[in-house]
Amino acid sequence: MMTEELKVTVVRREGGAILYTRGYINNVGGEEIANQAYELIDQGVTTLLLNLRETKIVNSIGISILIEIIEKMMEKEGRLGFCCLTPVIQKTFQIMGLAQYAPIFQDEEAAIREFEL
Amino acid sequence: MLPAQKFSELLGELDRLDRLPHSNSALQNRGHNILGALLRHAGYSSGAIWLQGPVSRSLLLAARTPDFECPSELSRTLPLRILDRSGNGESEEWSRDYETMQPAPHTLVPLRRNETPLGLVALRRDQDEIDGGTLELLEAAASYLSMLLTAQRMADEAREGDFQLKYRLWELESLYDIGLSIASTLDQQELSDEILIRTISLLNARRAALYLRKGEQYEMFRSFGEVRGQFFGSEIDPDSFSGLLKNQSPIRLSEGADCLFPGCETLIAVPVATATEMVGVLAVADKELRDGGVGGFDEKDVRLLQQFATQAAMALENARLHKDALEKQAIERELELAATIQRDILPRTIPTFPGMEIEVLARPARQLGGDYYTFIEREEGMSLCVADVSGKSVPAAILVSALHAALQLLFDEGRELGEIATELNRHIHHWSSETKFITLILATIDRENGLIRYVNAGHNPGYLVPPGGSLEILHSHGLPIGLMSDSRYSVQTRPLPAGSLITFYSDGITEADDETGDEFGSERLEALLLREHAAPVKSIRSSIDAAVQEFVGGAPQRDDQTLVLVRV
Repeated sequence: MMTEELKVTVVRREGGAILYTRGYINNVGGEEIANQAYELIDQGVTTLLLNLRETKIVNSIGISILIEIIEKMMEKEGRLGFCCLTPVIQKTFQIMGLAQYAPIFQDEEAAIREFEL
Repeated sequence: MLPAQKFSELLGELDRLDRLPHSNSALQNRGHNILGALLRHAGYSSGAIWLQGPVSRSLLLAARTPDFECPSELSRTLPLRILDRSGNGESEEWSRDYETMQPAPHTLVPLRRNETPLGLVALRRDQDEIDGGTLELLEAAASYLSMLLTAQRMADEAREGDFQLKYRLWELESLYDIGLSIASTLDQQELSDEILIRTISLLNARRAALYLRKGEQYEMFRSFGEVRGQFFGSEIDPDSFSGLLKNQSPIRLSEGADCLFPGCETLIAVPVATATEMVGVLAVADKELRDGGVGGFDEKDVRLLQQFATQAAMALENARLHKDALEKQAIERELELAATIQRDILPRTIPTFPGMEIEVLARPARQLGGDYYTFIEREEGMSLCVADVSGKSVPAAILVSALHAALQLLFDEGRELGEIATELNRHIHHWSSETKFITLILATIDRENGLIRYVNAGHNPGYLVPPGGSLEILHSHGLPIGLMSDSRYSVQTRPLPAGSLITFYSDGITEADDETGDEFGSERLEALLLREHAAPVKSIRSSIDAAVQEFVGGAPQRDDQTLVLVRV
């Protein structure tokens, strides 16, 4: 049986923060990510990296919440990116337009280099 | 502060509002900002605001000050314009919703665009009186706010339309990708997980399970989220699922859904069916809503789930066909190995014995044959055996192998033919099933004394053609080997003048049939032997083979064909 609950772990770094997700990015999971992201944004963090290494599923509600986070970050003139996506999720993000506004990196090292985290 | 300055600051603050919220928490955030701006700039001390919800579109309480008691949801009946208890507003009756607010608000500010209700703000100030400038400010703010909300609602609907278009593309791409996966992998578990993941994603479900048929039950194969039991059908209400299990019709439940997924509110389940049978059930539960709740699945969801179930059925069918192909390959490999063993049992080359000329025709009907022949050197000359075991393929080959081993041992012991046949009968009867038996003809050619000794145990008659040209038939004089436990066999002896032709064969020669079902028959064989007995045995063998082939024409060979010719 695959798991469903989402856990988010935040690692603060000098240039921003990395959010590690584990589980299903649905309504509940998306809100959890949004809460953590907005808290960081309110604290002045302007660079966020979402590492989805341990997430296999995202639904359309989760995607719309991720879009809201991206928009919020764009309003603040900050940067948000994704890394370590499964091929299925990467393709989904491309189809749903997330990749237009948030870069997708194959691995965390490349993302950290690009975002100077 | 001048009214114009207040107005400018209020509009400026409202202009910075977030775009329309998708969730209740965002709705509350937005309500808090609007209410705060109005309280700060219009001189009110407390109040509440209701805004159109993200999903239901009803007016939901978005924010209130702590001292203001009010309902969490309003009816859609809004005042046509701002109402104020001081009498400056319209003298309409306040609806029941507004009477439940404590303390009673002084001012109600409707937010609407034409007939569409967008929200309501209830405000209370510290004094009863209000100046006209404040009401004008509120009217302007309400108008601006309504326009802002409408514009954002339209923009949001456009965004939603764009999102839905992309979602349809995602749906199509997912089905296409599963098709590719089915073509590229035969791992049932991997494919099932992919189907479940995509199903859950696209249906916004919280849980899902794929059950596969195992006998009379459907056993859970893969699942996502908590599932109640290992078997579909063990704890369900039979009436609720009879349509699915008996008629292979999709079912959609909003009650009784708990039976598959604990605590589940809604579910749909569809059959996973191949062209010939139902092989499984695909079920999903709890469709998520944007406001955080769970809603029912619709017909579109059922159709999409059926498409995924069709993909699952294809994947399972492919995997089954692949498994069958592998098993068939394994069987073919085993048959080839058995055929090799059998080929090693039969003489690889025709042996040579002084004063004898031997020719053999051996043509099995299948990969594994049930005919057997052998030649054994003996003091008095040479012994030979032609046998036909009952059955075909592997069982027949096993019996041939047993016959070969026993025969070699018995000959090694130097026994005479009758004893060998009797012992062989006892052995085969004891070690093989009752339906298995062997017909055989055993013979020893004694050139020194010019005799042939033989035992014919239920086999086709042998032929002896001396140089003079008369044909002697060596009839069967005993039951087939292995049929009865106490059968005993005696040896028959015939003169064997030099130049005689001995012919043993299996029934695959005389019973070879043509396309109409007519058999070649012993008469044709006997006539040919009488006609050509003086020719070289190689030539006789070719003539018999050609005659049989010509007779059967294009009819397939049904039985093993063995022919042994010996000229002494």
